[in-house]
Amino acid sequence: MTHRVVLWIAGAALLCPSKAAAHAAEQGFVLLLPTDVYIAAGVATVALTVLVLAMLPAQAGETIFRTRSLRLMPSVRLRHLTSLVSTAILGFLIWRGFTGPGDPLSNPMPLFVWTVWWVGLVSLQGLFGNHWRWTNPWTGAAKLMAFATGLRAPFRYPRWFGSWPGVFVFMGFAGFLLTDPAPADPARLAAFVGFYWYTAFLGLALFGPAWLLRAEALTMLMRAYGKMGIFGRARGRLAMGLWGWQALRQAPPGLGLAVLIIALLGTGSFDGLNETFWWLGQLGINPLEFPGRSVVVAQNLVGLLASNIALISVFAGCLWVGDRLAGLQRSLRETFCLYAPSILPIALGYHIAHYLTSFMVDGQYVIKVINDPLGDGSAFLGLRDFYVTTGFFNTPATVKVIWLSQAGAVVAGHVVAILLAHAIAMRGGVGRRQAVIAQAPLAAFMVAYTFFGLWLLASPRGL
Amino acid sequence: MTKLIKGTTRRGALKTLAGAAAGTAALPLWARYAQAQSSEPIKIGFQQHSTGIGAAYGRWYGRTTEAAVKVINDGGGINGRMIEVIAEDDGTDPKRGAEVVEKFANQHNCDVAFGTLFSHVVIGSSPRAGELKLPYFVVSEGHHVASGMLNRYTLQPGITDVKSQVQAMAPYVSENLGKKVTMIFPDFAFGHDHRDFFSAAIEAQGGEVLEKIAIPPTETSFTKYFPRIPRDTEVLYHVMVGPAVLTFVKELGEFFGPSSPAIFGFIDSLEAVDIASPGLEFLEGTYFWEGNPRYAQADQTEYDKAFRAAVGVDDNGASISDPTDVSTYAHMFGCWETLHVIKHGLEHSGYQGPGDRAKLIEAVEALTDFPEGHAHPQGAKIFNGKTHQVFGHQYISRVENGKLVRVHTTSIEDTLYPDEVDYTTQPL
Repeated sequence: MTHRVVLWIAGAALLCPSKAAAHAAEQGFVLLLPTDVYIAAGVATVALTVLVLAMLPAQAGETIFRTRSLRLMPSVRLRHLTSLVSTAILGFLIWRGFTGPGDPLSNPMPLFVWTVWWVGLVSLQGLFGNHWRWTNPWTGAAKLMAFATGLRAPFRYPRWFGSWPGVFVFMGFAGFLLTDPAPADPARLAAFVGFYWYTAFLGLALFGPAWLLRAEALTMLMRAYGKMGIFGRARGRLAMGLWGWQALRQAPPGLGLAVLIIALLGTGSFDGLNETFWWLGQLGINPLEFPGRSVVVAQNLVGLLASNIALISVFAGCLWVGDRLAGLQRSLRETFCLYAPSILPIALGYHIAHYLTSFMVDGQYVIKVINDPLGDGSAFLGLRDFYVTTGFFNTPATVKVIWLSQAGAVVAGHVVAILLAHAIAMRGGVGRRQAVIAQAPLAAFMVAYTFFGLWLLASPRGL
Repeated sequence: MTKLIKGTTRRGALKTLAGAAAGTAALPLWARYAQAQSSEPIKIGFQQHSTGIGAAYGRWYGRTTEAAVKVINDGGGINGRMIEVIAEDDGTDPKRGAEVVEKFANQHNCDVAFGTLFSHVVIGSSPRAGELKLPYFVVSEGHHVASGMLNRYTLQPGITDVKSQVQAMAPYVSENLGKKVTMIFPDFAFGHDHRDFFSAAIEAQGGEVLEKIAIPPTETSFTKYFPRIPRDTEVLYHVMVGPAVLTFVKELGEFFGPSSPAIFGFIDSLEAVDIASPGLEFLEGTYFWEGNPRYAQADQTEYDKAFRAAVGVDDNGASISDPTDVSTYAHMFGCWETLHVIKHGLEHSGYQGPGDRAKLIEAVEALTDFPEGHAHPQGAKIFNGKTHQVFGHQYISRVENGKLVRVHTTSIEDTLYPDEVDYTTQPL
């Protein structure tokens, strides 16, 4: 369809609307909440964390992230087997994507990719630790192929590529998620996912595990979030500590991975921003009669790239100013990589907050589809007349609980980020005073970003 | 990519089979052959707003559609053929809407397409349906069908259009609430429709619109607009929509306190919102248009009772599995009634397969009266075959003790207006 036709349709719709606009009870109740008070409280919490940390002794950061050993890591090697189960499930999903219902709320393919994996498994990875080692759909299949053929990867991954292929792939993924007109169309998604699985598998077969670590964006983002989880490995034992402790124990990421980490937040932020009245106003679109995703593909692509570039620039700018103020002579590249992991808790907190409401609805469709995966009337979970509900969006009390949970995730993410940045600063091998000064602009940025994140949650949305 | 609605109980299916077998045995051989040929299901392409701005409505449209198909299939289907619903998501996006219509025609070989709510999707999809000669039954309430901007293959036989709804309010408003009206509406086409249709209708009743207050669509605070309401206003007519509508009601209540003019609104503002919610106390004693009364009324018909039971909605218009999950009751009956009109049309046209789609259009155009009944629980209707638009009773309810109580039912005549198009002159 040409642009002219699209414009004509949009114009015709303006001339002749129906009386139907999306009912927006949830947002209506959010607008009635004293969100300005909540936002002020959230921002104050994060600001207070900064002040308290500046006054505490230098070891405080270390103490906060101290770990507790739980038990020896089991040496069972089941991960290839569980990975193969993942591959089999993915195969089933792709098959259902092509052959199952065209409705994305009845077909398991979009429900499992967007609700179970992107919202559920990514959040679990960040909250608890690296389950992707067991749940990724590639390593088991690669092991099986190596076992069956006796062949090893014939090529070495070119070192000079670094992690940049992964950054590139991630931006492609973000573009699909945010700007494709129909990312939940089952057959379309099945084609994308099937193609992606195959190319990643091919990369793994040709270049070995380095491919997954440097070019396969989903494994890269999962491993990055995995370092945020409370459970991890320390000295051969299972250990637990505050979110982020694992990141402190590892060498800083390379530049490519550091950029990918910032892009996680930039993309997540734009995911929220592009739904707001404010953004639609910038595009000259009436939010009460949003004309559909197909009309805003180019605008959102530009917005996505601009958000990421802006965030990377501001983040780098804060670090540069901090080092100058403290009189430190580190290269910006070094500082950028050093502090990048401190952004992860913010990105995770925002991921959870942003998707909480859709997860509460689509999660019910997931239960429905598990109950009857082939749509043939079976009821594996014993659910016969299961109606999906959105009643919790219709009462002020539940909307308040939901909103405060979202806000809590955002604020907690920022508090952990402040703690992490503080611990990183104290470890930088510089004096305490210098470290506090060097970190100050970044801390100020995080306080401001708390405001932005909470403002996004409180803003009226048009999608 | 199909979604079979499993409406048939085992017993029901056996009965249907036995009945069909008995019936078939009595037919001459050639007819039996024809019967066997057409025993495959009737495929209805359901253009659903599963995602996008219409998703909240789409969920209830889906639920109503499933319930209607189950009832029809349990009753023996259409000419003995079961209905198979093929649902495709249009993302509430006109461009995708047209693609979905194409899929229905070319990929799924659907007999008809059905179920679209949002006007811009209807307007984006209808031309393609016309080109592909696929009967396209919309449930959108837009005036676009009767206005003549679409084509012969697009029909709206299950829900009335906004022009007739708005104009039918004027007699009651002027006789019972007052003749001096101030209108508050969102400043885009939806609000402009209300402004234009209602102004004309109230003037025809000897009333007048004192002030027309257009609110920018992105506005989230309204107190600054209220001083523009003239002091001698007898009736305040509001049709705000979007997330700020609850704020609107709250601020209106704060502005007027206990001494307000009569207040009349369209339930679209609060569709799927519990009227008894805290903060909405000000609505007590105000009036609403309802397409179909959300709360079961004292004189509830057996048809409304059966409709609620089939869809799984209680006497308060909420889901039986969650009393806080309020349905889009004023609109969703349209899916139920449209499917019954499709059934009626298919049966009367002697429809065999996609080759008979033109015959189906002619058969539906020839329909005139839909009596109130299980197929039409919202009330009796008159279908205009020339404009492809149905006309029916509208309801005015008053909020009493946090519930909507019907105080007036318009006549169908109140909703009629002169034809603006004759689609039957277009070639099939």
